[in-house]
Amino acid sequence: MARDKNTSDNYVRPIQRLLVGLLVLVFLAVFVLWRIDSPRVERMRSNLVDTVVPSFEWALVPVTKFVGMVEGFQSYQRIYDQNQELRRELRQMTAWKEAALQLEQKNAKLLDLNQVRIDPKYTYVTGVVMADSGSPFRQSVILNVGARDGIMDGWATMDGVGLVGRISGVGDNTARVILLTDSNSRLPVTVQPSGQRAILSGDNSGRPPLEFIESPELVRPGDRVISSGDGGVFPPGLLIGQVALGPDRRLRVALSADYERLDYLRVLRTHEGEKIIDPGALIAGQQPITPFVEGPDGTAEEQTTATQGAGGTDG
Amino acid sequence: MVDPHTVQRWLHRAAFVAISALALFIYILPLHVGMGRWPGPDPILAFALAWVLRRPNWIPLWLAAPVFLLCDFMFLRPPGLWAALCVIALEFLRTREATSRDMPFAVEWAMVGGVMLAMAVVYRAVLAVFMVDLTSLGLVISGQISTLIAYPFVVLMSASLLGVRRLTPAEADELRGQA
Repeated sequence: MARDKNTSDNYVRPIQRLLVGLLVLVFLAVFVLWRIDSPRVERMRSNLVDTVVPSFEWALVPVTKFVGMVEGFQSYQRIYDQNQELRRELRQMTAWKEAALQLEQKNAKLLDLNQVRIDPKYTYVTGVVMADSGSPFRQSVILNVGARDGIMDGWATMDGVGLVGRISGVGDNTARVILLTDSNSRLPVTVQPSGQRAILSGDNSGRPPLEFIESPELVRPGDRVISSGDGGVFPPGLLIGQVALGPDRRLRVALSADYERLDYLRVLRTHEGEKIIDPGALIAGQQPITPFVEGPDGTAEEQTTATQGAGGTDG
Repeated sequence: MVDPHTVQRWLHRAAFVAISALALFIYILPLHVGMGRWPGPDPILAFALAWVLRRPNWIPLWLAAPVFLLCDFMFLRPPGLWAALCVIALEFLRTREATSRDMPFAVEWAMVGGVMLAMAVVYRAVLAVFMVDLTSLGLVISGQISTLIAYPFVVLMSASLLGVRRLTPAEADELRGQA
């Protein structure tokens, strides 16, 4: 195809080339300006973006939201997986919670064991130690309370912490306390936590030994020794001391009561234990049988009482 | 009475602006914020090169150059340089339009690929000379390659949907008469 060089072509093409060259130069000048004075051109760029992007915003926002919705649907699977994982973890956590609750209960039990509270039904009479026995073979003290204060034979005597002994011999104004260390003292005890029964038998030493333990291997030094209440002599649950292993490999009891400093003693008012002597009244033989009154009044009365009773339980 | 050729020309100019706006819109959609994205093709450049090889007067310089510059600003490129290279490429292909009118498509594709490669090389060379921080070469090359791969689809779409086809000699004569 032959190109005819007419006048317009002759003039237009060089001008067009000139314009192209000028435009390229302008663009390159912009580039160089950007390289030299970057902050100003960047500010220009941000202004330009500021004008262009908001004009797209009416379309940008719905499209972005739509794509976000699609991705949201895709994320349901992830959420499901996460939910399963959380359920698994929750199950583990439940097991941990159970363990924690058990530990808490155990802790509470131990705390309870530590802080022994005597049953409030045991009121006590406090007496001052007037004298001790004065003999190395008799471990007893004299209190300044006696029959005048209602002291009776066999009552337990404690200092502030643990059991000291029992009343044995009451005068009008005085009472004698046989200490647990006395060689005549025999006291049924329980060793906690194993629950072994034993007899604490005094032998005139500061640490009376435990005898007649059923399974000595279950008893360890440090176990608590409390009165068992067997035989009805003492109320059960009074703190006596801790098991200790003596130098002769016998299990002895380190008494909690401070025997060095027996000044004030509490005599527990022990009430007579309730004894079941009745053979039982299962067969009702002697009671007179009242005849049941039949009639509208009687049934009405019974119904009212029944409704009243029901209302009372509800309330 | 408006000449139908003029109407068509202006419609296609508007179409080019619309396509550029759409491409810009898609690229600035905040969909994959923060992800190291594979650089996609540059549809604006592909459309411009494809159209200038077919209907040079449908994509005049005064229409394409501001679009290129705007894209430079919008895509946080060093402003001006890539736009200048695009303008040079566009004008180079515009002068080649008459000779490439009878080329098979493969040759045209190779020519466009060569132009793009030259653009990328010059771009990186200038950036290196001006000591601008360069992005990784792999990303640039993959961007150019994806544009080159997209080029046949752009051509196909332009021809089938928008009616941008090669000039027949009769049309060329008619155009020259107009110009």
